[in-house]
Amino acid sequence: MSQDRFDDLVTVHHGEVFRYLLRVTGRGADADDLSQEVFLRAFKAFGALAEDANVRGWLLTIATNQARNHFRSEGRRKRSYEAVADAGSRESPRGPQDENVRREEREQVAAVIATLPSRQRLAFTLRKFHDLEYRDIGEMLKCSKDTARAHVFQAFRKIRRAVSRSEKNPAEARR
Amino acid sequence: MNQRCRKIQEGLLAVALQEATARMRDHVQAHVAVCEACRSELERCRDLDDVMTALKVEPAVAEVGSRDRLRVSLIDLRGRILRYRVFESPLGRICVGRTELGVALVTFLGRARSPRVPGLELMEDGSQEFERLGSELLDYLHGKRAVLDWQLDLRLAKSDFQRTVLETTGRIPYGAVTSYASVARELGRPKATRAVAQALRNNPVSLVVPCHRVIGANGALTGYAGNRVGLKRRILAVEGIPTVTKPGVPRIRRAAMYHHVGHEEAYCVPTCPGLPERSLARITLFATRAHAESCGLSPCRVCRPDTHPIAG
Repeated sequence: MSQDRFDDLVTVHHGEVFRYLLRVTGRGADADDLSQEVFLRAFKAFGALAEDANVRGWLLTIATNQARNHFRSEGRRKRSYEAVADAGSRESPRGPQDENVRREEREQVAAVIATLPSRQRLAFTLRKFHDLEYRDIGEMLKCSKDTARAHVFQAFRKIRRAVSRSEKNPAEARR
Repeated sequence: MNQRCRKIQEGLLAVALQEATARMRDHVQAHVAVCEACRSELERCRDLDDVMTALKVEPAVAEVGSRDRLRVSLIDLRGRILRYRVFESPLGRICVGRTELGVALVTFLGRARSPRVPGLELMEDGSQEFERLGSELLDYLHGKRAVLDWQLDLRLAKSDFQRTVLETTGRIPYGAVTSYASVARELGRPKATRAVAQALRNNPVSLVVPCHRVIGANGALTGYAGNRVGLKRRILAVEGIPTVTKPGVPRIRRAAMYHHVGHEEAYCVPTCPGLPERSLARITLFATRAHAESCGLSPCRVCRPDTHPIAG
């Protein structure tokens, strides 16, 4: 196994894997831990990977499995909710009104994503932020591509509903 | 929201998420042209999709720190990985493992399927390099190769003392045996015989560091990998070293071996009057004259093993 090849792989893919895990866990520390684990696992399995394998998909699959294991722990899940509550209550820094509104909107959407059931959250993140095909998402979540698509749509509906609630009642978004 | 609005919801989402087919898009367009509520909902969903796009490009500041930590972890992991392969041999399953630095493990597995090494990450390895190690090992066990000159990584040694014992033992030539006492003496620790025996009992690189060539000062094979003296005897047989079992204790057949004392330049037959003592504390035994002479030794001028070799 070439060490240089793995170093290149880290350079190319670490950022995306980290951001993916940050999005689905909502916590920088978890994204850090999990992304380390993903690449250490990948390193051990790298020798057996075919030359022409889809490395990006392979890494995102490992990351998805790691994230799912992570969610299985109830304690961690709880912490993730708390982190979301934190994100929701964070004061936006002062700035041009428009930018503030957009930032709040982004934070709110990110917070809602973090409260989605794990499969919806993973499917939605993989689709909307990492542009994966439903077929690949289905493989990662061990479901059909139609189910993967249903997860994404359901997630979007929930986000839309949450945003719509807060439009009607701004206090609720900060709850 | 009427029936038609409800039916269009799925399509409306698909359009907002930019995943609608052309037909679906036309259908939704036709509906929102006449339904203000749905038009407004579509706009909001599209806005929301824009927010996603903004989120997508938002960089994560913690990413760089995390990558740096990963690089450090990888360096650490690389140092802790033990790649191994298990080989079937005439003496049972043998596991050979190596780190980045060299071969760190050669062990008889007995009934176990894979090795257990605390503190290291074990990974089975199918690479060419192990093919070479395996074929050299089997050549050795079939008596076709005398030396396994492998680069070693002695990190599995438990102490510096053990490392020194292993290094000293590594210099005992093929086809020869010496005693634990003699190894201790060689180390400059003549009283550390038992410590030497313990160090060799836990030899992480069996065969390559030939701890099987170290025996009791009275010629008994004593232990091997715990109490597998039978295994020790079979390995010695590969090297042509004669052993007998009497009475019940396997020992070296000294009468069939050439003797070499301390750091002298000559080797003798066992009956040489010049030999100082019976104890093997300072004596190395060779299976054949050729083995002794390949170490640079010459025949003793008194007992003349060259003209009066040991009778078969």
